[in-house]
Amino acid sequence: MSMRNLLLGAVASLAVASLAMALPALAQQRIPVGHLMDNSGPTSDVGLPYGQGVADAMNWVNSARRGIASRPLAVSGVDYGYQAPRAVSQYNAWARDRVVAIQGWGTVDTEALIRFVTRDRIPYISGSYSAALTDAAGRSGRQGVEAAPFNFFYGPSYSDALRAMLQWAADDWKTRGQQGRPKYVHMGANHPYPNSPKEAGETLARELGFDVLPAIQFALTPGDYTAQCLTLRSGGANYAYLGNTAGSNISVLRACQTAGVQVQFLGNVWGMDENAMKAAGSAANGVVFPVRTGAVWGQDAPGMATMREISRTSDAAGTAYRPVHYLAGVCSAMLMVEAMETAAANGGEVNGERTRDGFYARQNWVPRGFEGVCSPSTFTPQDHRGTLRVALYRAVVGGPTVQGSVDDLMRAGTMRLEPVTTIELARRADWLGW
Amino acid sequence: MNAMTPCGDFRTSYAADTTIFPTRNSRLALLIGIVLLCGAPLVLGRYELSLLINIGFMGIAALGLNILVGFTGQISIGHAAFFGLGAFTSAYLHERFHIPVMLCIPLAGIVTALIGTIFGAPAARLKGLYLAIATLAAQFILEDFFARARWFTGGVAGRMTESPVLFGFAFDRDESFFYLTLFYVIIMFAGAANLMRSRDGRALVAVRDHYLSAEMMGINLAYYRTLSFSIASLYAGIGGALYAHYLLFVSVEAFNILFSIQFLGMVIIGGLGSVMGSLMGAAFMVMLPEVTQWGADLLAGGAIDRALRLGNSLSYLREMALGATIMLFLIFEPDGLARRWRLIKAYWKLYPYSH
Amino acid sequence: MDWSLLLQLTLNGLIVGTLYGVVAMSFVLIYKASQVVNFAQGEFLLVGAWMCWWFLTEWQLPFYAGFLFTLVFMTIFGVVLQVVVLRPLIGEPVISVIMATIGLGIFFQALMKWIFGVFAKPFPPIFAVERVNVLGLEVQTVYLMSLGISLLIMAAFGWFFTASKHGLAMRATAFDQQVAQSLGVSVPKVFAMSWAISATVSAVAGVVVGVVNGVSSALSFYGIKVFPAVILGGLDSILGAVLGGIIVGLLENWAHYIDSEWLNWGNMFQIAPFYALVLILLIKPYGLFGTKNIERV
Repeated sequence: MSMRNLLLGAVASLAVASLAMALPALAQQRIPVGHLMDNSGPTSDVGLPYGQGVADAMNWVNSARRGIASRPLAVSGVDYGYQAPRAVSQYNAWARDRVVAIQGWGTVDTEALIRFVTRDRIPYISGSYSAALTDAAGRSGRQGVEAAPFNFFYGPSYSDALRAMLQWAADDWKTRGQQGRPKYVHMGANHPYPNSPKEAGETLARELGFDVLPAIQFALTPGDYTAQCLTLRSGGANYAYLGNTAGSNISVLRACQTAGVQVQFLGNVWGMDENAMKAAGSAANGVVFPVRTGAVWGQDAPGMATMREISRTSDAAGTAYRPVHYLAGVCSAMLMVEAMETAAANGGEVNGERTRDGFYARQNWVPRGFEGVCSPSTFTPQDHRGTLRVALYRAVVGGPTVQGSVDDLMRAGTMRLEPVTTIELARRADWLGW
Repeated sequence: MNAMTPCGDFRTSYAADTTIFPTRNSRLALLIGIVLLCGAPLVLGRYELSLLINIGFMGIAALGLNILVGFTGQISIGHAAFFGLGAFTSAYLHERFHIPVMLCIPLAGIVTALIGTIFGAPAARLKGLYLAIATLAAQFILEDFFARARWFTGGVAGRMTESPVLFGFAFDRDESFFYLTLFYVIIMFAGAANLMRSRDGRALVAVRDHYLSAEMMGINLAYYRTLSFSIASLYAGIGGALYAHYLLFVSVEAFNILFSIQFLGMVIIGGLGSVMGSLMGAAFMVMLPEVTQWGADLLAGGAIDRALRLGNSLSYLREMALGATIMLFLIFEPDGLARRWRLIKAYWKLYPYSH
Repeated sequence: MDWSLLLQLTLNGLIVGTLYGVVAMSFVLIYKASQVVNFAQGEFLLVGAWMCWWFLTEWQLPFYAGFLFTLVFMTIFGVVLQVVVLRPLIGEPVISVIMATIGLGIFFQALMKWIFGVFAKPFPPIFAVERVNVLGLEVQTVYLMSLGISLLIMAAFGWFFTASKHGLAMRATAFDQQVAQSLGVSVPKVFAMSWAISATVSAVAGVVVGVVNGVSSALSFYGIKVFPAVILGGLDSILGAVLGGIIVGLLENWAHYIDSEWLNWGNMFQIAPFYALVLILLIKPYGLFGTKNIERV
């Protein structure tokens, strides 16, 4: 009997000890921050670099800037594999530990947690740029759009990015000297992420004088999309918006290149990057897509030095190429950090509500040390559209991309990101929330 | 039925023979367990309670699948679609017809059961593998329907919904929702246990064990197979409705083929044909990601972490662990955790004579 | 009616359909020989594609050498899988075997992501001529290669199952295991061989898809497309599987044509094969060529 008691006691104490060790360290001084990432799920090809950027930035803040007002950030990073229930249960754990802010990721977790973060007053900075999140006070009157006073994101919303590209496309049509009405088509899966800007895009396209063709669907998984490309060609489309993530966009680009489709493709922020350019090869040549930062890796800007310093947190040798998503992740994390610094100023308490107010403290806000890289953002209590300035780049692929890493190809000039133009959209009130 | 009763414990009436709890102690153990669970919200934090709530409504849905797969011998790879149907129905009924949420949950279960009957009627004519493939197709078709039916599901954007309210008291905190889940778990599990000892339950088991003989004895195979589908859908619907009113947001993305496979995993790991096994399997599936996360946190910074690059590859290792666990369970413990639990109980009961 | 578009879509359907047919053939082979439903067929494609990519890029082998090595690897892979995972499950109910293959699929998906990462990787160019013009449709050369290989495989299977000793042993085992065993056929060896051949054939399909789309973890979705194909063709007929695959390819493209011309729903390309699957199961569960030994209730 005593042996059994001993054994039971040992097991119990082991369980208690491991539980205690597993609870996140909540020393008085540290500021708890949650970080949801997708490193393994369906959006991991873009989630991995973005999450790396966020994590590196927060590590850098702890080491180089000694945290926020000498209080280090206690970051709890969790890979939730793009499954909403995992995200919600992790959120509950964080709410118990009273995190000050959360760096979120995709549409599925952001939308699921809107009510929770509003109730618990925790700012949620997402990687989802759905326009519905920008209606902070819930006054836009759009159906299905709720007030999201604690949701923020860095960069233009999907709808605004598409609107900017359509404005460019309208100008491009005239510049090329084409006659008649250009034809626009929205391509994407029937999922919240590609659908997010669909209505806004098609409405603006009609306003600008495009002929809007019926949308073409293709799934979020890679596959053979020759049929969609043939439909694209027979419809005579001139501009096609690719709404999915990079993985399936690559399939469409390659299929359309094989089928000989001549169309100007418009990408979305998560649909084209350097890795996708390498995977798609010459099929990605000419795709125009929005870039959330003022410069890309390898270009010169005052803020690039800080970026390189941050990159060395996880890449001591300094040789890794950082795709556009990495830079956007850094900017996103730095917005949160500076909002916390605003809250901590004059010895104030760093909590969720004051951090949210910290977002409203500045106009045309570029985190210090990142000039020329992070775009200026302005948040107001009614309008969480941080920036309406959309930088458009063109992917240029000059040769075969199979051999060599992304870094080698970019350095050799085989792959290039060529700036096209920067569109500053008007802050129209009727565009809020959709 | 396989419980070991002590010598001299005779059954003197038919009613006593069909009792769910063969010994007084097992009944007592269950009552004490329920009392302890009632006290749980006072002791546990939000996070642990949310895990228990997850186990609760997943367990209800897994029990439904177990009735279909374990007790009737059918196969369904589309269970997540019915779970989602329950979730969307409950949200839709509440938003469109303003029915109070407390009524929506059972109504959603009934509606899902009706739709499950519609799917089950043609499926009753198929056996084994063909049924598996048909339910796989049903999963994709229903998923596509969810994504397209904006009037019902809010399309791909999903639908927000409310917490249940009873006489002005809102079950919107984990503590209060826990009691609601516990209530439903007790009812549904008691219902299933009762079903299995009734005439219909025995007919279902007969259909599984040897359907030709069952048919010869006068059991209408098509009727019972369809009934089994309906019951499984009822359970899935109620589980889904609870899920909807707990998360307060339903989206089509959650109800994919991976979710269906998870339900099947719960049933297999818990034990086919065992009511309590469904709960154990659900607990296993819900706790597996949490336990691996704790394990990774414990090992963080250590030698194993560096060797396996745990920080980056935790989720891959977790999925590999899930796949490996399913295979290992099937190879070494095909009757699941329930059987292992029975063996453990037997060891203690028969000590020192157990071999 | 846009006839030229319809013609091109038909051609595309035929060509992609042969690819589905190849995958369906390997699925049916396993089912015919060992009564196991392999839900991990998509992962065989994935493993084959990644191995070939690895041989070609890491070791810089020419395509023929890399492809051959991949086939050898997949043969061994299939045998090991059958021995380690499936042999203990002989005699278990269907649901257990299905779950075991599902678990296998999950395991290998995650393993491939762990080893090779989550980014899609392009295949090195294999043919000097990237695409060929067939009746007005530009087709990737690799599809023509797959067409050629699948015809070759069909012919090889035809010979194997009618004229060779091992093939006849496999048919005998599929028909009645006990009698075959009593006649001296080694049933475990037959099972292992069927898995090895199936894995190898799937690798061919995987390489083709990898060349066209780049290799990434979502390649295994092709394994789901195989179900409509085998149900249409009949679960235990190899010829039926190939025809089923072609029909599914045509169905997809015609559904897409109807959708884009008139319906504008947008999703018919994805979902039409599954509606067809359910319809066939209700009307004619044994498919076009399957044997009618499944009793109906």
